[in-house]
Amino acid sequence: MRAAATLLGVRAGDEIAPLARTVTQAQIDAYAEASGDRNPLHVDDAFAREHGFVGCIAHGLLTTAILVEAVARWAGGFDSVASVAVRFSRPLLRGDTITCTGQVTAVDAAAGTVSLAVAAVSQRGERVLSNGRAQVRLPRD
Amino acid sequence: MPTLDCEETPSHMPDRSHVGRTYRADGQVIDGERAARFAEAIAGDDGLIEPGVVPPTYAAVYCLSPTLAQLFGDAELGIGLAGLVHAEQEFSFHQPVRAGDVIDASVRIASVAERRGRVFLGVELEATRAGRPVCSGRALFVAAGGAP
Repeated sequence: MRAAATLLGVRAGDEIAPLARTVTQAQIDAYAEASGDRNPLHVDDAFAREHGFVGCIAHGLLTTAILVEAVARWAGGFDSVASVAVRFSRPLLRGDTITCTGQVTAVDAAAGTVSLAVAAVSQRGERVLSNGRAQVRLPRD
Repeated sequence: MPTLDCEETPSHMPDRSHVGRTYRADGQVIDGERAARFAEAIAGDDGLIEPGVVPPTYAAVYCLSPTLAQLFGDAELGIGLAGLVHAEQEFSFHQPVRAGDVIDASVRIASVAERRGRVFLGVELEATRAGRPVCSGRALFVAAGGAP
Protein backbone atom coordinates (compact mmCIF):
# COMPACT_ATOMS: atom_id res chain seq x y z
CA MET A 1 0.00 0.00 0.00
CA ARG A 2 1.07 3.52 -0.74
CA ALA A 3 1.85 5.54 2.37
CA ALA A 4 -1.21 7.67 2.99
CA ALA A 5 0.04 9.77 5.89
CA THR A 6 3.45 11.28 6.57
CA LEU A 7 5.13 12.74 9.64
CA LEU A 8 5.28 16.16 8.03
CA GLY A 9 1.71 15.95 6.80
CA VAL A 10 -0.15 15.10 9.98
CA ARG A 11 -1.09 17.25 12.97
CA ALA A 12 -2.58 16.55 16.36
CA GLY A 13 -6.34 16.61 15.93
CA ASP A 14 -6.32 15.04 12.45
CA GLU A 15 -8.89 12.27 12.09
CA ILE A 16 -8.47 9.02 10.21
CA ALA A 17 -11.15 7.96 7.73
CA PRO A 18 -13.78 6.04 9.74
CA LEU A 19 -14.12 2.38 8.79
CA ALA A 20 -17.62 0.89 9.08
CA ARG A 21 -18.09 -2.87 8.68
CA THR A 22 -21.09 -5.09 9.25
CA VAL A 23 -19.85 -8.24 10.97
CA THR A 24 -21.84 -11.26 9.81
CA GLN A 25 -22.12 -14.64 11.53
CA ALA A 26 -20.28 -16.13 8.55
CA GLN A 27 -17.40 -13.74 9.29
CA ILE A 28 -17.43 -14.66 13.00
CA ASP A 29 -17.46 -18.36 12.08
CA ALA A 30 -14.54 -17.86 9.71
CA TYR A 31 -12.61 -15.96 12.38
CA ALA A 32 -13.33 -18.72 14.91
CA GLU A 33 -11.94 -21.32 12.52
CA ALA A 34 -8.89 -19.31 11.50
CA SER A 35 -8.04 -18.14 15.03
CA GLY A 36 -8.87 -21.39 16.79
CA ASP A 37 -11.11 -19.55 19.30
CA ARG A 38 -14.34 -21.58 19.01
CA ASN A 39 -15.87 -20.35 22.28
CA PRO A 40 -19.61 -21.14 21.89
CA LEU A 41 -20.51 -17.52 22.71
CA HIS A 42 -19.22 -16.75 19.21
CA VAL A 43 -20.54 -19.68 17.21
CA ASP A 44 -23.57 -21.17 19.06
CA ASP A 45 -26.56 -18.83 19.01
CA ALA A 46 -28.59 -20.86 21.53
CA PHE A 47 -25.63 -20.94 23.94
CA ALA A 48 -25.15 -17.17 23.60
CA ARG A 49 -28.86 -16.57 24.33
CA GLU A 50 -28.67 -18.80 27.40
CA HIS A 51 -25.86 -16.58 28.61
CA GLY A 52 -27.77 -13.33 28.35
CA PHE A 53 -26.92 -12.17 24.83
CA VAL A 54 -29.37 -11.59 21.98
CA GLY A 55 -27.25 -13.96 19.91
CA CYS A 56 -23.65 -14.76 19.05
CA ILE A 57 -21.12 -12.03 19.71
CA ALA A 58 -17.99 -11.24 17.72
CA HIS A 59 -14.58 -12.03 19.20
CA GLY A 60 -13.09 -8.97 20.88
CA LEU A 61 -9.94 -9.54 18.88
CA LEU A 62 -11.96 -9.59 15.63
CA THR A 63 -13.28 -6.10 16.46
CA THR A 64 -9.72 -5.08 17.38
CA ALA A 65 -8.49 -6.40 14.03
CA ILE A 66 -11.00 -4.20 12.18
CA LEU A 67 -9.86 -1.20 14.22
CA VAL A 68 -6.23 -2.01 13.34
CA GLU A 69 -7.26 -2.20 9.67
CA ALA A 70 -8.78 1.31 9.93
CA VAL A 71 -5.48 2.60 11.33
CA ALA A 72 -3.47 0.67 8.73
CA ARG A 73 -5.52 2.09 5.84
CA TRP A 74 -4.69 5.60 7.04
CA ALA A 75 -1.06 4.89 7.88
CA GLY A 76 -0.21 3.15 4.63
CA GLY A 77 -0.33 -0.52 5.55
CA PHE A 78 -0.32 -3.09 8.30
CA ASP A 79 3.46 -2.89 8.75
CA SER A 80 3.10 0.76 9.83
CA VAL A 81 1.09 -0.20 12.91
CA ALA A 82 3.40 -0.22 15.93
CA SER A 83 0.91 -0.80 18.72
CA VAL A 84 -2.73 -0.96 19.71
CA ALA A 85 -4.43 -1.07 23.11
CA VAL A 86 -8.16 -1.41 23.74
CA ARG A 87 -10.75 -2.14 26.40
CA PHE A 88 -13.58 -4.46 25.39
CA SER A 89 -16.49 -2.40 26.73
CA ARG A 90 -19.56 -3.87 25.05
CA PRO A 91 -20.02 -6.93 22.86
CA LEU A 92 -20.65 -6.60 19.13
CA LEU A 93 -23.57 -8.82 18.07
CA ARG A 94 -23.57 -10.80 14.84
CA GLY A 95 -25.08 -8.58 12.17
CA ASP A 96 -24.06 -5.38 13.94
CA THR A 97 -22.11 -2.67 12.15
CA ILE A 98 -18.92 -1.53 13.84
CA THR A 99 -17.51 1.90 13.06
CA CYS A 100 -13.86 2.46 13.91
CA THR A 101 -12.45 5.96 14.35
CA GLY A 102 -9.17 7.57 15.30
CA GLN A 103 -7.68 10.96 16.01
CA VAL A 104 -4.02 11.97 16.12
CA THR A 105 -2.96 12.94 19.64
CA ALA A 106 0.79 13.44 19.15
CA VAL A 107 3.45 13.49 16.45
CA ASP A 108 7.01 12.53 17.43
CA ALA A 109 9.07 13.48 14.39
CA ALA A 110 12.35 12.40 16.02
CA ALA A 111 11.05 8.92 16.78
CA GLY A 112 9.10 8.74 13.52
CA THR A 113 5.89 7.82 15.30
CA VAL A 114 2.37 9.18 15.55
CA SER A 115 0.04 8.44 18.47
CA LEU A 116 -3.71 8.18 18.06
CA ALA A 117 -6.77 7.87 20.27
CA VAL A 118 -8.93 5.16 18.70
CA ALA A 119 -12.40 3.78 19.37
CA ALA A 120 -15.15 1.63 17.93
CA VAL A 121 -18.92 1.97 18.30
CA SER A 122 -21.90 -0.11 17.15
CA GLN A 123 -24.78 1.24 15.04
CA ARG A 124 -26.68 1.65 18.33
CA GLY A 125 -23.98 4.03 19.52
CA GLU A 126 -22.65 1.58 22.09
CA ARG A 127 -18.95 1.81 22.76
CA VAL A 128 -17.52 -1.54 21.69
CA LEU A 129 -13.84 -0.64 22.05
CA SER A 130 -12.92 2.15 24.46
CA ASN A 131 -9.80 3.63 26.04
CA GLY A 132 -8.18 2.87 22.71
CA ARG A 133 -4.69 3.94 21.81
CA ALA A 134 -2.56 3.18 18.79
CA GLN A 135 0.85 4.16 17.52
CA VAL A 136 2.04 4.10 13.92
CA ARG A 137 5.43 4.47 12.24
CA LEU A 138 5.27 6.92 9.35
CA PRO A 139 7.73 8.05 6.69
CA ARG A 140 8.94 11.62 7.05
CA ASP A 141 7.43 12.86 3.80
CA MET B 1 -15.27 -36.08 62.47
CA PRO B 2 -14.10 -32.87 60.80
CA THR B 3 -16.50 -29.96 60.77
CA LEU B 4 -17.82 -28.71 57.50
CA ASP B 5 -16.57 -25.24 56.76
CA CYS B 6 -18.91 -23.56 54.33
CA GLU B 7 -16.58 -20.59 53.96
CA GLU B 8 -13.69 -22.78 52.92
CA THR B 9 -11.68 -21.41 50.03
CA PRO B 10 -11.87 -23.72 47.02
CA SER B 11 -8.68 -25.69 46.56
CA HIS B 12 -8.21 -24.46 43.02
CA MET B 13 -8.22 -20.67 42.89
CA PRO B 14 -5.66 -18.39 41.30
CA ASP B 15 -3.78 -16.28 43.81
CA ARG B 16 -0.65 -14.16 43.96
CA SER B 17 1.54 -17.25 44.29
CA HIS B 18 0.76 -17.92 40.63
CA VAL B 19 2.32 -14.64 39.49
CA GLY B 20 5.32 -15.43 37.33
CA ARG B 21 3.92 -18.70 36.05
CA THR B 22 4.79 -18.90 32.34
CA TYR B 23 3.35 -20.89 29.47
CA ARG B 24 5.40 -21.35 26.31
CA ALA B 25 4.63 -22.31 22.73
CA ASP B 26 7.94 -22.46 20.89
CA GLY B 27 8.79 -23.27 17.30
CA GLN B 28 5.51 -22.31 15.68
CA VAL B 29 5.74 -21.94 11.91
CA ILE B 30 3.49 -19.20 10.50
CA ASP B 31 1.08 -20.91 8.10
CA GLY B 32 0.48 -18.56 5.17
CA GLU B 33 -2.81 -20.21 4.18
CA ARG B 34 -4.20 -19.96 7.69
CA ALA B 35 -3.06 -16.34 7.93
CA ALA B 36 -4.86 -15.63 4.64
CA ARG B 37 -8.10 -17.16 5.99
CA PHE B 38 -7.65 -15.08 9.14
CA ALA B 39 -7.23 -11.92 7.06
CA GLU B 40 -10.29 -12.80 4.93
CA ALA B 41 -12.41 -13.34 8.05
CA ILE B 42 -11.53 -9.82 9.24
CA ALA B 43 -12.12 -8.22 5.83
CA GLY B 44 -15.46 -9.92 5.15
CA ASP B 45 -17.09 -8.67 1.96
CA ASP B 46 -14.81 -5.62 1.82
CA GLY B 47 -11.87 -7.67 0.55
CA LEU B 48 -8.23 -7.62 1.59
CA ILE B 49 -6.32 -4.34 1.69
CA GLU B 50 -2.96 -6.15 1.46
CA PRO B 51 -3.21 -9.68 0.07
CA GLY B 52 -0.35 -11.87 1.26
CA VAL B 53 0.45 -9.70 4.31
CA VAL B 54 -0.07 -11.29 7.72
CA PRO B 55 -2.32 -8.91 9.73
CA PRO B 56 -0.66 -7.68 12.95
CA THR B 57 -3.43 -9.12 15.12
CA TYR B 58 -2.51 -12.58 13.83
CA ALA B 59 -0.60 -12.48 17.13
CA ALA B 60 -3.90 -13.87 18.47
CA VAL B 61 -2.98 -17.09 16.67
CA TYR B 62 0.78 -17.41 17.11
CA CYS B 63 1.02 -15.90 20.59
CA LEU B 64 -2.23 -15.84 22.55
CA SER B 65 -4.01 -18.97 21.40
CA PRO B 66 -1.38 -21.67 22.08
CA THR B 67 -0.19 -20.18 25.36
CA LEU B 68 -3.61 -19.30 26.79
CA ALA B 69 -4.86 -22.80 25.96
CA GLN B 70 -2.24 -24.03 28.42
CA LEU B 71 -3.05 -21.36 31.00
CA PHE B 72 -6.79 -22.01 30.99
CA GLY B 73 -6.14 -25.74 31.01
CA ASP B 74 -3.88 -25.46 34.07
CA ALA B 75 -5.76 -27.33 36.80
CA GLU B 76 -3.56 -25.79 39.50
CA LEU B 77 -4.60 -22.31 38.40
CA GLY B 78 -8.27 -23.23 38.17
CA ILE B 79 -9.47 -20.62 35.66
CA GLY B 80 -11.58 -22.23 32.95
CA LEU B 81 -13.05 -20.70 29.82
CA ALA B 82 -16.60 -20.82 31.21
CA GLY B 83 -17.71 -17.32 32.09
CA LEU B 84 -14.37 -15.87 31.15
CA VAL B 85 -14.31 -12.29 29.84
CA HIS B 86 -11.46 -10.80 27.82
CA ALA B 87 -11.46 -7.26 29.24
CA GLU B 88 -8.40 -5.50 27.82
CA GLN B 89 -5.73 -6.15 25.21
CA GLU B 90 -2.49 -4.41 24.28
CA PHE B 91 -0.17 -5.39 21.44
CA SER B 92 3.14 -3.84 20.42
CA PHE B 93 4.30 -4.93 16.99
CA HIS B 94 8.09 -4.74 16.77
CA GLN B 95 8.65 -6.51 13.45
CA PRO B 96 6.23 -7.76 10.78
CA VAL B 97 5.59 -11.50 10.80
CA ARG B 98 5.66 -13.36 7.46
CA ALA B 99 4.53 -16.78 6.30
CA GLY B 100 7.20 -19.35 7.12
CA ASP B 101 8.58 -17.46 10.11
CA VAL B 102 9.34 -19.58 13.18
CA ILE B 103 7.97 -17.93 16.33
CA ASP B 104 8.58 -18.66 20.01
CA ALA B 105 5.72 -17.38 22.17
CA SER B 106 5.11 -17.09 25.88
CA VAL B 107 2.52 -15.75 28.28
CA ARG B 108 3.42 -14.90 31.86
CA ILE B 109 0.97 -14.29 34.68
CA ALA B 110 1.69 -10.71 35.77
CA SER B 111 -1.08 -10.06 38.29
CA VAL B 112 -3.88 -11.82 40.13
CA ALA B 113 -6.49 -9.86 42.06
CA GLU B 114 -9.90 -10.71 43.43
CA ARG B 115 -12.56 -8.01 43.67
CA ARG B 116 -16.27 -8.47 44.37
CA GLY B 117 -16.02 -12.20 43.88
CA ARG B 118 -14.36 -11.95 40.51
CA VAL B 119 -10.79 -12.83 39.59
CA PHE B 120 -8.79 -10.32 37.53
CA LEU B 121 -5.92 -12.05 35.77
CA GLY B 122 -3.29 -9.92 34.03
CA VAL B 123 -0.83 -11.53 31.65
CA GLU B 124 2.20 -10.33 29.70
CA LEU B 125 2.83 -11.84 26.31
CA GLU B 126 5.92 -12.00 24.17
CA ALA B 127 6.73 -13.51 20.81
CA THR B 128 10.20 -13.69 19.30
CA ARG B 129 11.79 -14.78 16.03
CA ALA B 130 15.38 -16.01 16.32
CA GLY B 131 15.48 -14.42 19.76
CA ARG B 132 14.37 -10.98 18.59
CA PRO B 133 10.95 -9.64 19.63
CA VAL B 134 8.23 -9.47 17.01
CA CYS B 135 5.29 -8.84 19.32
CA SER B 136 4.72 -8.11 23.00
CA GLY B 137 1.81 -6.93 25.04
CA ARG B 138 -0.61 -7.46 27.87
CA ALA B 139 -4.07 -8.85 28.36
CA LEU B 140 -6.59 -8.69 31.19
CA PHE B 141 -9.14 -11.44 31.79
CA VAL B 142 -11.98 -11.44 34.29
CA ALA B 143 -13.35 -14.73 35.58
CA ALA B 144 -16.06 -15.63 38.02
CA GLY B 145 -14.47 -16.33 41.39
CA GLY B 146 -14.40 -19.79 42.90
CA ALA B 147 -16.43 -18.80 45.98
CA PRO B 148 -20.17 -19.46 45.73
